[in-house]
Amino acid sequence: MLRSIFIYGLINSIILALTAVGFSLTYGISRVANFAYGALYVLAGFAAWVLLHRLALNYYLALFLAVVFVALVGAALYRFALIRVRGMPISEIIVTFALGTALVELLRFFGLFGSAYGLPPLRRATLQLLGVPVDFQRVALVVIGAVLILALWLFTHYTKIGLAFRAIAQDEQAAMMVGIDPDHMATLSLALGSALAAVAAVVVLPLGYIAAESGSNILVFAIAVCILGGLESPAGVIVASLLIGYAQILSVAYFGPHYQMIVALLAILVTLVFRPSGLFGKQKELEERV
Amino acid sequence: MTTDFLVVDELSKSFGGVKALDRVGFSVAQGEVLGIIGLNGSGKTTLVNVITGFIRPDSGHVWLRGKEITGLAPEKIAGLGIARTFQTVRPFHHLPAFKNLIVPLYSSRIRSAAGGGRWGDRDAVALDLLEEVGFERDSSVPYKPAAALPHGYLRRLELARCLALRPEVIITDELFSGLSSSEVSSLMPLMEKLRERGITLVMVEHRLRELFRLARRVIVMEQGRKIAEGPPQAIVADNAVRETYLGAEL
Repeated sequence: MLRSIFIYGLINSIILALTAVGFSLTYGISRVANFAYGALYVLAGFAAWVLLHRLALNYYLALFLAVVFVALVGAALYRFALIRVRGMPISEIIVTFALGTALVELLRFFGLFGSAYGLPPLRRATLQLLGVPVDFQRVALVVIGAVLILALWLFTHYTKIGLAFRAIAQDEQAAMMVGIDPDHMATLSLALGSALAAVAAVVVLPLGYIAAESGSNILVFAIAVCILGGLESPAGVIVASLLIGYAQILSVAYFGPHYQMIVALLAILVTLVFRPSGLFGKQKELEERV
Repeated sequence: MTTDFLVVDELSKSFGGVKALDRVGFSVAQGEVLGIIGLNGSGKTTLVNVITGFIRPDSGHVWLRGKEITGLAPEKIAGLGIARTFQTVRPFHHLPAFKNLIVPLYSSRIRSAAGGGRWGDRDAVALDLLEEVGFERDSSVPYKPAAALPHGYLRRLELARCLALRPEVIITDELFSGLSSSEVSSLMPLMEKLRERGITLVMVEHRLRELFRLARRVIVMEQGRKIAEGPPQAIVADNAVRETYLGAEL
């Protein structure tokens, strides 16, 4: 029991980190809380499904194209909608939430939800880890999640564009002053965040099927992780994913499956009451006097 | 030497009822060092912010090389080669000092330039620049996060960040403020070097002695207006300026 809680807790934590990292990244760079995040996750699932089952593409190619497609949708979301309400956080949330809801309802309208719509796993196999049976997809997911987070760390610390991302997150005006275009960076941050939602979708969705609720569930989980960890904090995403991930598995094991959502909502509530900036959140620095 | 390299024409800007800039105009020749002095609140920083695109003027124009740049976005103006420093230092605090200088390499100005910051040599480009502004290359200083550096180094870092943009104009906003006398005097050779290299400098400054050594022409501002303009000796002798600075050391 303990060993299975350890392993499934880790898997659940990685799933949470995977689903939250894109939301955190977009917010960290451009201060846009992308409430269409869950819808983009669902869209990625459908894009992959269409490419696989309707166009009969190669499995990996289909997943790759689905990720690229959703990244483009994310970029378009900024270029055509968010750019008009830039700097107004409430409007940004309303715009992204409205478009996200519209997208999910559109898919529902065409009846594109249900057990008929699922993605196949990478491989149908079961492994034994510490004597606990774990299917191949979940193991792959842990590896992919860890590699992705490492890759993101390298990207933001060693590439010009990654450093420009961090620079604009730290001081937008100073970054503009050295020629960094904030709209360009925000477009890229939406594209990258959306691509990460899509990656999470194509590796997590094979564990179940594509449901209308996936979108809103993913959004709540991502927000819970980001609020507990501290918005814009990469280390916070990892720590909060582990905390919520294990808390969910423990409560599911001892109380029941519906506690998964309760734990996430409780994490949001408790954080906002006791430490609103989250575990790793920072106080805003004073603006320059003009 | 063209006298109309950077031209500021009749710039006005009000905040509420306060006229921060009142029909301010001047021109700067390429390679010239222009000083701007005036008491606190005389509109110097507003002037810098308007030229660099952070504030849109109510009226008036700014031209660079005969091309109007008024109201362009800050990153576009930076892309045209006007770099600036801030009154309070604003490095990218959580980036190591040398990585602060890699950020400008992602600007469209440098990306479009030939050989602009390729993989591999960009760290060297950044370290060279830091050495140029006086960072000890073989020490750990260039690798420390900017937040851990003392103020004198941050001023140098901001200058280096300007240089990473390969600018034609550098506008400094109280570059010497908050520095000790020895730090100021160690910064002077660097400013002289920039001047010799032909970079146009516009220096908003309170440290008049140092400014007058660098600038051949100085503008005096008071309550948003330009009240005097001329070489340092003439400015010192000017009665209106003396009145403004009454009690201040000139």
